[in-house]
Amino acid sequence: MRKRIFSFLFIVLLTAQTAFAQSGGIKLPPYKKAKLKNGLTIILMEQHEVPLVSFSVLVKAGATADAAGKEGTAAMVAGLLRKGTKTRTGDQISNDLDFTGAQLGFGDGADFTTGRAEFVKKDLAKGLDIFADCLLAPMFPADEFIKLQKQTLDGLKAAKDQAQGVIGEYYNAYLFGSAHPYGRNATEASAAALTRDDVAKFYETYYTPSNTILSVVGDFATAEMEKLLEAKFGAWPAKNAPTVNVPDAAAFTGKKLLLIDKPDSTQTYYRIGNLGVARTNKDRIQINVINTLFGGRFTSMLNDALRVSSGLTYGANSFFDQRKARGSFAIATYTRNETTEKAIDLTLKILDQLHAEGISEKDLQSGKNYLKGQFPPTIETNDQLAAQLASFEFYGLDASDLNDFAQTVDAMTLADAQRIIKTYFPKENLVFVLIGKASEIETAVKKYAPKLEKKAITDAGY
Amino acid sequence: MRQRLQTALLIASLVLGAFATSATAFGQQLNIKTHTLKNGMKIIVEEDRSIPNVAFYIFYRIGSRNERPGTTGLSHFFEHMMFNGAKKYGPKEFDRVMEAAGGANNAYTSNDLTVYQDWFPASALELIFDLEADRIRDLSFDPKVVESERGVVASERRTSVDANNFRLLLEQLQATAYVAHPYQWPVVGWMVDIENWKLEDLKKHFEMGYSPSNATMVVSGAVSATEIIKLAEKYIEPIPSNAPPPPVTTKEPPQLGERRLVVEKTAQLPLVAIGYHVPEAKHPDYYALQVLQTILFSGQSSRMYQRLVDKDQIALFVNGNSGASFDPTLFTIFTQPKSGVATDKVEQAIYEELDKVKAVVVTDDELQKAKNIQLANFYRQLKTINGKANTLGTYEVFFGDYNKLFTAADDYAKVTKADLQRVAAAYFTAKNRTVATLVPEKK
Repeated sequence: MRKRIFSFLFIVLLTAQTAFAQSGGIKLPPYKKAKLKNGLTIILMEQHEVPLVSFSVLVKAGATADAAGKEGTAAMVAGLLRKGTKTRTGDQISNDLDFTGAQLGFGDGADFTTGRAEFVKKDLAKGLDIFADCLLAPMFPADEFIKLQKQTLDGLKAAKDQAQGVIGEYYNAYLFGSAHPYGRNATEASAAALTRDDVAKFYETYYTPSNTILSVVGDFATAEMEKLLEAKFGAWPAKNAPTVNVPDAAAFTGKKLLLIDKPDSTQTYYRIGNLGVARTNKDRIQINVINTLFGGRFTSMLNDALRVSSGLTYGANSFFDQRKARGSFAIATYTRNETTEKAIDLTLKILDQLHAEGISEKDLQSGKNYLKGQFPPTIETNDQLAAQLASFEFYGLDASDLNDFAQTVDAMTLADAQRIIKTYFPKENLVFVLIGKASEIETAVKKYAPKLEKKAITDAGY
Repeated sequence: MRQRLQTALLIASLVLGAFATSATAFGQQLNIKTHTLKNGMKIIVEEDRSIPNVAFYIFYRIGSRNERPGTTGLSHFFEHMMFNGAKKYGPKEFDRVMEAAGGANNAYTSNDLTVYQDWFPASALELIFDLEADRIRDLSFDPKVVESERGVVASERRTSVDANNFRLLLEQLQATAYVAHPYQWPVVGWMVDIENWKLEDLKKHFEMGYSPSNATMVVSGAVSATEIIKLAEKYIEPIPSNAPPPPVTTKEPPQLGERRLVVEKTAQLPLVAIGYHVPEAKHPDYYALQVLQTILFSGQSSRMYQRLVDKDQIALFVNGNSGASFDPTLFTIFTQPKSGVATDKVEQAIYEELDKVKAVVVTDDELQKAKNIQLANFYRQLKTINGKANTLGTYEVFFGDYNKLFTAADDYAKVTKADLQRVAAAYFTAKNRTVATLVPEKK
């Protein structure tokens, strides 16, 4: 299979994160939020069309809670949760889950760790038992720890064979710097430095009821589900967890450029941008409308210039990585070695054009329609809804984030558009990160910043 | 909004073990209607109003297997050209008009098919028909646009093959495993062919593959069959059909012994890919192979994961699969040895596991688990309108009838432990395999 738009799904996912709501009469169905005595927040939404129940759990500690020099701890905790509990071995858990075709997984993000599970109503008790066991009583067996650590080390090494898979790490590290939590990544050195005790300690510190949100969407009666959750999670001892504070980074002033040399590369992969916005930014919906038009869909200004009109690349896009604190904004694309300068020049020209010419009334309407039209499939399934509810709670948002979306989109004016562009899209101050064949592109890309910094892709870390 | 009743019922019943009946019931509960236009295009409509959106697919039975040396990748290139302007909606207009109406689109090309996908609010339905009819009937071939798109496809190849060691190795594996059949060349095409297609080649390809009679339309979502048929009669039916593509008569001759190849490439870690010739989708062994694949490769409790990743700890990952195809295809196993582990050690462990399923029948639990996983995955594809449109269409084109989607459960239920042993012995032989190794280049 060959996708016509390589990054299209990616864009849609980001759109879903940033602008969850949509018109057309779509409203979030009613749900109940409650707190167990031990402090666990539970959110319940009944959806009776299907005898399925989806769970989403969110623990308010992710990669940013990793100690300096021990990056990768949160990920290791998540990876080991289903690898053995007080009463089950990892093999038993895998076998029991696989036997019913159930799905259960945990993964870490920057600001939090999430888990998701889906069970058939009939198997709910058994499935929830395994799910709760993994969350409440993991043992982090020493052999499983060593196994995962080795896999992680090799995985970090192998990832660098594909520029697209690691350019995000390089970009965040360069933009935020190692002093900021968003600029730190798991590296071979930090993963090698981890011990089983680090993992157990992270779990003990952060995996507490009051630091956890559990959402459930599916075919159940709310009162019964509350009782069931009380039975499974009520005995989890109450304990306060430290709040993970991530300060807003400062935007970069000036221009800087990092070139990562990958001598076998036939294309240059690059990101250009600066600091973006937090998930809770009051202008997030308007920002999403503008980003849709600038680099968030196939006919966007960037993709039109770099792909459709010039054939310089297979795809060009832009996105705001919205986090608890301000994340990054980036323009991302790639082009062959010989056209690197031409493509970057054109990218900068389009960014200038956004500032100089703004957008037209017609384009604004098109962007609004697109966002609204593409919204419903992002809340089509129970698991999508469960994940959204947990994330609302984490960010301190509520149903209005979704329900007021269409209204906010429709109310947006050209004056709003101008203000959004001026406020949130970088112009003069830019961070460049390029992965490519230095011997063929270095001379050409020097001009973009006063100083060119250089690394080899084989250098440890990012 | 949200999920459909039928999907969940099915999952519920499959866990009860009543696979066959539940799948049939599933089919009966879905509101599916079919119609064939006078020009031969078949239409399948599944009405589902859970969200106010529509997933709209057109499957053309043409892919890289219909190509010739010298113009490999032409089907895929043509897929791109279908978005570049026709008579009513000129260059750039197809995407602009669709996105302005709230719609999005994509497309994919495989060895066998070229598939076009539109996702849009139901309010844009008639516009979508107008857009689709325009490009099927009156596609234009502007030489300037062709040259620009050639650059896009070259970039796609650089990023999906040159910069992706898995895909690079897979391409070499296929080129070695087949000596006669067109599955030997990559869907995206060889770079030299991408650089050399002529305008005439594109025109011929359009005539060969894009007759309405060579296509199937599948629509799922907030629409009724009545309105779809009415719009299809207005927009699609007047488009005349011509002859279908010439049949692909080449058959891959039996392999006479193991083939091996090495790719030297800048890499942190090596890769191993092993391909076994296996039959096409309509072959009776198809389902047994799917079940065997599940026992060997699906989930952390699968045999290969347990052996290579968990117990011996010699590989970072291992996976294996073969998809539905018109002609005999490859069952491909992919693995990445951990650092310091020789590729042949990983290879031997894979052969030992394959030998075990030949020597000793799998357990009842393993067979049951595999069937449960197979069906759970299968129904998961049907949770969304997009998944349903794609799956219904896939069954229609590969198995000749979308209803096979619902009787597939019977076929899975019939697979026995002895069948698994038999197909393992028949296909997983040294003589029938091609082994490709990617080794880090010496500096």
